[in-house]
Amino acid sequence: MSRLITRRGALLTGAATIAAPFVITSPGFGQTGPIKIAGLVSLTGSGSPFGPNSRVAHQAVVDQVNAAGGLLGRKIEYLAEDDQTNAEAGVRATRKLIDVDKVSAIMSVWASAVGSAVVPLCWENKVMLLGISAADSIALLPHQGYFVRTQPHTELQGKEFARFALAQGAKNLYLIMPQTPFTETVFKAIRDTVEPKGVKVQSTIIDGKKTSFRSEIDEMVRATPDLFMMGGYQAENIVMAKDLFRANFKGKVMGFAYGMTAAFIDGAGKDAAEGMYAVAEPSPAGGSSAYAALKALVKRDTLDTYICQAYDHANLVILSMAKGKDASGTGVRDNIRKIANNDSAMKVDNALDGLKALADGKEIKYAGASGPCKFSDIGNIIEVAFRTTQIKDGKLVEVKI
Amino acid sequence: MLEKTLQLSLNGLMAGAVLAVPAIGLTMIYAVLRFVNFSVAAHMAVGAYAGYMLNAWLKFSAWLAVVGAFVAAGAAGIASDHVALRPLRGYSALTIAIASIALNLMIESTIRFFFGGSPRDYAIPLRRDWTFGFLHVGPQQVENAAIALIAMALLFVFMMLTITGKAMRAVADNPMLADSKGIDPDRMARLAVGIGMGLAGIGGMLVGLDTSIDPLVGFRAILSVFAAAVVGGLGSVPGAVIGGLAIGLSEELSLLALPATYKSAIGFLAILVVLTFRPRGLLGAKTA
Repeated sequence: MSRLITRRGALLTGAATIAAPFVITSPGFGQTGPIKIAGLVSLTGSGSPFGPNSRVAHQAVVDQVNAAGGLLGRKIEYLAEDDQTNAEAGVRATRKLIDVDKVSAIMSVWASAVGSAVVPLCWENKVMLLGISAADSIALLPHQGYFVRTQPHTELQGKEFARFALAQGAKNLYLIMPQTPFTETVFKAIRDTVEPKGVKVQSTIIDGKKTSFRSEIDEMVRATPDLFMMGGYQAENIVMAKDLFRANFKGKVMGFAYGMTAAFIDGAGKDAAEGMYAVAEPSPAGGSSAYAALKALVKRDTLDTYICQAYDHANLVILSMAKGKDASGTGVRDNIRKIANNDSAMKVDNALDGLKALADGKEIKYAGASGPCKFSDIGNIIEVAFRTTQIKDGKLVEVKI
Repeated sequence: MLEKTLQLSLNGLMAGAVLAVPAIGLTMIYAVLRFVNFSVAAHMAVGAYAGYMLNAWLKFSAWLAVVGAFVAAGAAGIASDHVALRPLRGYSALTIAIASIALNLMIESTIRFFFGGSPRDYAIPLRRDWTFGFLHVGPQQVENAAIALIAMALLFVFMMLTITGKAMRAVADNPMLADSKGIDPDRMARLAVGIGMGLAGIGGMLVGLDTSIDPLVGFRAILSVFAAAVVGGLGSVPGAVIGGLAIGLSEELSLLALPATYKSAIGFLAILVVLTFRPRGLLGAKTA
């Protein structure tokens, strides 16, 4: 027995001796590889008009930083996965990014259904999630700080719709939206704001997976509203807009900007889309230097809010890591407000300038292309500017309300 | 209330007529091959995009483009069946049905690869509804219903009056007996798949003519199409027509009592109710 123990002991000692250098230095191995960050973007499905732009913005920022020497002495590797604007596909993509690719941060998840589904995976794995998903419920989950978003949450958007309705002098308002995680929140925010002012509100939640909404539009037309909220995504709005034209609807029409894009106008046709309002779109910081820098970086004349938010996500992640000298998701979580909410610090509008300032030992405040980028304790964006556009002669034109 | 009920019924009949066309395709394939081919959804999209290319790019009329949709979806159906499903003949119907779901995803993804995910529109003018008293109907709805009826009538003539159609019915009724009479079951299977998927292609284009198309145009309709085929009786062509109209009507009339968000549940409910009281569907044949 004693010989056996001796042999086992000798084997263990030998194995431990051989393994020791690897065990002791294992953190060093992780530190020498690239820093991995990812975009969970909608390349297909309802979010497909915006997802490819997010990927372009992320990659452009990462390329810029890598060309200037990388971050914390390491190269940044950017990965992008398509969530198909679908929660189940989003979860699978997130699992791959976390379990296989070992990313520290996931950026620009667009649909609320996807954001709601993947945020638990992120906080459980200490991966930072920077979202566009606007459903109020996401920020109320116990995410331990691993979630922030640059898109105003849906209660604010609902209030903006209500403000628009009151400004238009609406007396009879009809709301149609597909079933989403934020439908009830938007309806409630609108009702709570306009009903005390004497506006009559009727609403219908539709099954967005159907091919036709003719009967639902018929029902709405019968109610003779003076303002109709066509609150679908692009595909549903195309179908509804055609039916509105066919039914010769004379009232005003408003909808979410993400559902009233140039592709919507093409799909519905200029005649059907003419005069409709796209409301509650977070206004990009059009006059800002970050906006100008992004335009130059991606070589485009105009930018929508989503590409601006994606650009800000990439800059925020990189600067948070640099601020804390920590490339983990926890590092981003612990430092993002130090570089986003510090109004008294030196203003920067891109990662390169921010990295230089941090290297010089300065405090920074990142102000982005989508806006000031300040976050509340639960991760909601603070200080939002909205804009309204109207379709005139087949083009979206900004209007003052 | 009467006004609303009649308008909903009219909408339901128009939608049901369109729905019946791919439902006939699904049921025809089932009648000959004895499995539910869920790739009908993707072939609806194939037809919709083929029609789109002919109409929007090559400036063919919508009516001619519908013929192109039939041919393209039918050809794609025969090819995809030959490559992906035919090697599985002999396995259980469930196995092949699951393989057809995988095939469906592959075809939809291929369409998305070439055309992207954004909605597309046919080059047809948008017209105001015709109004008759308190009822109104869209010219496109009427045209779609007419195209659907013509497609069904042509299929009826083919099945009832031609030797090939009769041979196909013989295979559907009793494959072994048909085989003993010298009817080639493989040829009949190819023909059934070609015609069935061609009809699915027409259905996809008709849905797109009234709304718009994207790679999921068939996927969104497949539950209703499946429900129509099951309610009518899988394997029965007249049953699919009745099933399509029944599902179209019940989905629209459900709005009298239920919120619109439950519309998709009506298809499931219809399947449940019909199968509970008549397991073979309304016009389905008794099986041994």
